[in-house]
Amino acid sequence: MDTQSEARERRRAGYPQAVALVAAATALAALGRPFLALPDVVMVYLLAIMVVAVRYERGASVLASALSVAAYDLFFIPPYFTFAVHDAHNVLSFVMMFVVGQLLSALALRLRRGEREARAAALHARTEQMRSTLLSAVSHDLRTPLAAITGAATTLREDGPGLSASQREDMVDTICEEAERLERLVSNLLDMTRLESGAMTVKREWVPLEEVVGSALTRLERRLHGRAVTTALPEALPLVSIDPVLLEQVFVNLIENATKYTPPGSPLELRARCTTDGVELLVADRGPGVPPGLEERVFERFYRGIHVGVGGAGLGLPISRGIVEAHGGTLTVRAREGGGAEFRVLLPLPGPMPAPPPEPSLADAEAP
Amino acid sequence: MTAGPLVLLVEDEVPLRRFLRTTLGAHGFRLVEASSVAEAELALGAQSPELILLDLGLPDGDGVDLTRRIREWSAVPILVLSARGREDHKVEALDAGADDYLTKPFGVEELLARLRVALRHASASRAPDAAVLELDGLRIDVARRRVTLRGAEVHLTPIEYRLLTTLAKHLGRVVTQQQLLTEVWGHAHAHHTHYLRVYMAALRRKIEDDPARPKLLRTEQGVGYRLRDPREG
Repeated sequence: MDTQSEARERRRAGYPQAVALVAAATALAALGRPFLALPDVVMVYLLAIMVVAVRYERGASVLASALSVAAYDLFFIPPYFTFAVHDAHNVLSFVMMFVVGQLLSALALRLRRGEREARAAALHARTEQMRSTLLSAVSHDLRTPLAAITGAATTLREDGPGLSASQREDMVDTICEEAERLERLVSNLLDMTRLESGAMTVKREWVPLEEVVGSALTRLERRLHGRAVTTALPEALPLVSIDPVLLEQVFVNLIENATKYTPPGSPLELRARCTTDGVELLVADRGPGVPPGLEERVFERFYRGIHVGVGGAGLGLPISRGIVEAHGGTLTVRAREGGGAEFRVLLPLPGPMPAPPPEPSLADAEAP
Repeated sequence: MTAGPLVLLVEDEVPLRRFLRTTLGAHGFRLVEASSVAEAELALGAQSPELILLDLGLPDGDGVDLTRRIREWSAVPILVLSARGREDHKVEALDAGADDYLTKPFGVEELLARLRVALRHASASRAPDAAVLELDGLRIDVARRRVTLRGAEVHLTPIEYRLLTTLAKHLGRVVTQQQLLTEVWGHAHAHHTHYLRVYMAALRRKIEDDPARPKLLRTEQGVGYRLRDPREG
């Protein structure tokens, strides 16, 4: 995109380039003087002016034109090496060279502006399209839980006294669950928007992977109730340079996905290890797994698979992948031996890690 | 019958005030409401609340500033309410003196748990520190400087011990990274979060059955650490 700073750069770089190109044209024309007639020399200079006009700003092209006229006069028009002109016809050449140079740079300017506008229009069109896709896909997902909440709440209001205790509890549970679903959806939408607009900043810290896995599991404590969750994170795993808040979200997404798409009570495994490509974390389940051939499609926005009744807008996986990729890593899925899906987060090994801290002196050194 | 604790609720969103009023009232708390920083300051001048519930997103001012100002003359427990994704805001408030936080939307159970912890600490600060802490099998004997897990002795380095006791001092409350670093290593090291994470990992490995699924030493990413109070679930 043509930015202010790029334009300024171009303006600055133009002047020395103009000088260089006119000098080159002069050298070229001088070399070819035995074979070239004067009009041909003018052509060589015009070429130089054209290059400057097209690539740089107005100022540079004026300089190129002026220098070309001067050089042409100096080296190719008798009396040589003076600015005097014996033949008045040459003045016409001078004027033409100048005018052509200016016309060309005006043209170039219009071209660049046109390009800029076309790019902006294309971006605008893409954003509009994304927004409308997002809106239509999402309005249904927003309305469904809202409908459930409205229904349950108004039932409580209207039929309250007539309902049994368990019926009332049912309505209240519905409100709570659907509100939670709505909250997740809104979060995901915000994250998706931030990712797409490039507004997601990765604040890196040196973190033990185990800590992020731990906080993700804590967040999902209630959801994981009744499931066997095994973790295998070796103690010697190096620290990773990541944004812990963002990565926690990735793990929450992956683990939550596993709970949504596998039968309740089915086991989950989280394993990590260090490979030559980086630090790998696997989230493996024993559910139906991802249908063969769809391993890439599941990371598409709004893709929800064929499971009926599973809530969510299908944004968790694309967001997770976006976050992992923003860290320079990869997120993939494959079928697991014995059934189920295995999601793999691979984080690149960063440069040398700071040495583990020595046991520094305590604030008020009291020895135990 | 003694009246329940007086809570100052500083919240500008009407629906939130409604729900808080209802639930706090149902749990025996007395309420004073304010919907702006200005109103909160007026209320503080007229009453002595035992706890302040403060929404950080107030229309006429910064909740963090208010927290700082309150801390200049009072140790009243302050619980801040903040939106998701604003971890930096919460940390600011905690470092300015707030005791704990709640992320909107939150449920009543979480709110009451944090309230109870805050009030417990407020009343405990007037009583001598407990000599022995029993937490789900983990026993911290501060007098004898001994830590045992289900009877078996746990050998902690001085730093690990200091970390554990600092968190225990704030049992059930979140402690920001900066607070921990400052209390254990001193002000000069307040930004060495790398140290903190490595030592916390070592501590977790010694105290937790599954360090990747901690039951007591909870990490709240972006904010800090919390030693869970088993009484609060």
